[in-house]
Amino acid sequence: MKDCALAAYSWVCERTGLDQVWTALMERHIPEAKGWVGLLYTLGSATMMIFTVQAVTGFLLATNYVPSPDHAYDSVRYIDAAVLFGRVVRGLHHWGASFMVVFAVLHMLRVYFMGSYKYPREATWLAGVGLLLLVLGFSFTGYLLPWDQKAYWATVVGTTIAGQTPVVGAWIANILRGTDGMGAPTLSRFYALHVLALPALTAGLIGVHLFLVVWHGISEPPKRSPGKVP
Amino acid sequence: MSAPQEPGCGCKAKPPENIGRRDFLTRATVALGAVIAAALSATGLGYFISPAFQRRDEDWVDLGRAGEFKAGSPALVEFTQRRRDAWVTSERRSSAWVVTADGKNFTAFDPRCTHLGCPYRWDAGSSRFVCPCHTAVFGPDGKVISGPPPRPLDQYATKIAGNRLMILPKAEKKA
Ligand code: HEM
Ligand code: FES
Repeated sequence: MKDCALAAYSWVCERTGLDQVWTALMERHIPEAKGWVGLLYTLGSATMMIFTVQAVTGFLLATNYVPSPDHAYDSVRYIDAAVLFGRVVRGLHHWGASFMVVFAVLHMLRVYFMGSYKYPREATWLAGVGLLLLVLGFSFTGYLLPWDQKAYWATVVGTTIAGQTPVVGAWIANILRGTDGMGAPTLSRFYALHVLALPALTAGLIGVHLFLVVWHGISEPPKRSPGKVP
Repeated sequence: MSAPQEPGCGCKAKPPENIGRRDFLTRATVALGAVIAAALSATGLGYFISPAFQRRDEDWVDLGRAGEFKAGSPALVEFTQRRRDAWVTSERRSSAWVVTADGKNFTAFDPRCTHLGCPYRWDAGSSRFVCPCHTAVFGPDGKVISGPPPRPLDQYATKIAGNRLMILPKAEKKA
């Protein structure tokens, strides 16, 4: 049994370099940072963990959700009231949404205040900016989906703000809403963005972001320099 | 990072003497992670497979006071059936033939002939159900007396709740 597992393992890793990939990812050198400074380095991973939870709970919610004005609200109520663990799954997705923004911003703040965005990590930072925008996109599109009063009017406000843009505002608002004013196309459009476009883009950009993180190695925490402040 | 890199894909056997800080933290992280992952997966799995254990609500329909049905003279009762399908509620107009011999035991028949689905009627003169399409004749118990139908009339489950007659308009085929 053990020999067999070992044989299977060597078969795979001789052909994929799995052990080297593992070493490169999990056993790479990272800066020595003690105490809560070390903790700050976990914020990016925490954000990624939440993204995973959002992807799984989002899939589960989609198995019972209908993005149509005549059923959206009822299908959400059905998840809450009738599906086993429905409230837990919906709660996880709801709180995960908020905490993903919180953790992405905290992570960005740590990168900012430690100066980790500086040469050669500008590309990592730019990928991060893209990720933050995507996370906000998730929040904006996801908020409409329950199709209750709060969701509806929040999106009226959000799209109207976009409509204030000089000259092209009315076009932007209509493109966001998919129709003149709010309606069924708005819900479908937001749903398509929320479950198809944004997750794919986010997963791809996380890949780029992490590749760059590993490629450059993690930056050292800044040191107090003995030099004088000019 | 201490052990020299072995060529190929050797299995790195670590001597497990006494556990150092690093090993301890690794194990603690993995264990804690496993607990969290297990709790989350159990929740998600339960949610996903719950339809396997879910029983559909039975949509019993109230046909009125049981005492109002006269023994020996079947009545065609029209009703509206409200069906709940998860988040969708739909209404369907339908009808059933209610037969009682003693005012206590009730039988409800699907109003469609078991031959090809025509609506049959009660013929009071002969005390039989007759179908206009291909001249089928059924007794008041639903059995085929003559004509082409392959089986007796389909029945709906009935029950008395309080003094109301309830039926479950989902055809049960009687062989
Ligand atoms: C979906 C959102 C994000 C995820 C999943 C994510 C993930 C990560 C992870 C796992 C790391 C490894 C180091 C650490 O955790 O501190 C990292 C590093 C980094 N992230 Fe992010 N990140 C996200 C958003 C952002 C944002 C919004 C920014 C800034 C605009 C950013 C900029 C950076 C930079 C510059 C590094 C390199 C830090 C260093 O080398 O010390 N990231 N990211
Ligand atoms: S349908 Fe009733 S006899 Fe043919």
